[in-house]
Amino acid sequence: MTAATTSHPGAARVGIGGPVGSGKTALLEQLIPRFAARGTRLAVITNDLVTREDAERLRRSGLIAPERVLAVEAGACPHTVIREDPTLNLDAADLLEERFSPLDLILLESGGDNLASTFSLELVDHWLFVIDVAGGGDIPRKKGPGVVQADILIINKPDLAPHVGVDLDAMVAEAKAVRGDRPVLVTNCRSGEGVDAVVEAIARDVLFDGAA
Amino acid sequence: MADASSLLLALQMGDSAFPSGGFGFSWGLETLKHDGLVHDGAGVTAFARAQLRWRWACADRPVLRAALAAKGDLDRLGALDREVEAMSLAAEQREGSRRLGRALVRSHVTMGTPGAAAFQAAQRAGRVLGHLPVAQGVVWGGAGLDVTGAEAVSAFAVAAGIGQAAVRLALVGPVEAQAMIADLRGVIATLLAQPCPERPHAFVPAAEIAVMRHESGDARLFAN
Repeated sequence: MTAATTSHPGAARVGIGGPVGSGKTALLEQLIPRFAARGTRLAVITNDLVTREDAERLRRSGLIAPERVLAVEAGACPHTVIREDPTLNLDAADLLEERFSPLDLILLESGGDNLASTFSLELVDHWLFVIDVAGGGDIPRKKGPGVVQADILIINKPDLAPHVGVDLDAMVAEAKAVRGDRPVLVTNCRSGEGVDAVVEAIARDVLFDGAA
Repeated sequence: MADASSLLLALQMGDSAFPSGGFGFSWGLETLKHDGLVHDGAGVTAFARAQLRWRWACADRPVLRAALAAKGDLDRLGALDREVEAMSLAAEQREGSRRLGRALVRSHVTMGTPGAAAFQAAQRAGRVLGHLPVAQGVVWGGAGLDVTGAEAVSAFAVAAGIGQAAVRLALVGPVEAQAMIADLRGVIATLLAQPCPERPHAFVPAAEIAVMRHESGDARLFAN
């Protein structure tokens, strides 16, 4: 786990970033029931860019109590709200902890952004970056800070590879090459394939619980 | 001109990069654009002038001044907070002011600014609400800003915040925004030279209606 620059009491905070349409909300929808089944006490913050759509989608999903989902508007600045000035997200996390203490985990979904997006470690303890096969097989070798620096890189939508002319094995190999020892996981967030490995990694590295 | 250390302190407190969440708020401008009521630089300038003259100078300024004078007295600060709460008609205006106050105080707690931790503890205990001008008085006073510096930084933050929001809403270009802010510096200087009202009051109906309409609107780049 990456050491946070500013420690905080209470729930662990895990960020989920990545480009528009890569599958961040779909990943959340797969993670929430898995953590709930483990007994993890959970809340969610979304940073919708233009609407409240992601927050409303989760509230209506039946996967989590609606009041445990907070939306933070990003003022058209998706980078800023998770990195340069994360105070609105920190405030939302404080509120969730006040209202639902004790919490074990707060998942924080960034607004759709580009490959330069990274989370401040004043906001989160650990962060995931989600890219998808349909976005292009060349994304990993572009070495965007999100791809390189995230604690876990997730490559989503592997089933689309043959339809968009992407060599999935080569994409994964290039991702591993640019990330050194940091993990690269492949998920299909529509079917749930590969998501258990994400839960196991978060449980092990963030919640310090090996019983995933 | 202020001495160098005072000037540097004011520059840091007023820096738009200071983590305090202001970039997420438009105070009605997003809805006014969406409704076609503000569509160019002249409209943005008129909006900013109204916010400065009829909200900041007559409401935020006396609250800020009283919060500085309270010097951490939580009973006085709580009474100020309740007055701001009662004066704030639109829900997103009230909530926005509280959110920004909490965000500003949070950063100052982390930095170790004197008085910030006690105020945050009182916020969390429900003793104070932590509206923005009250929080500004607490933390800026703790950081060492005097009344003149605090008022200048507070008013400038209103002008600069509107300018930045207008750029992101594509109402003005970035240089046009700076030209607008340069014009507004004159407005602020004039306001600062006038006596500060003893009791806060405000009259910005178009902005307040816009903030209320924003609560149920689809356009949500900003929190209000």
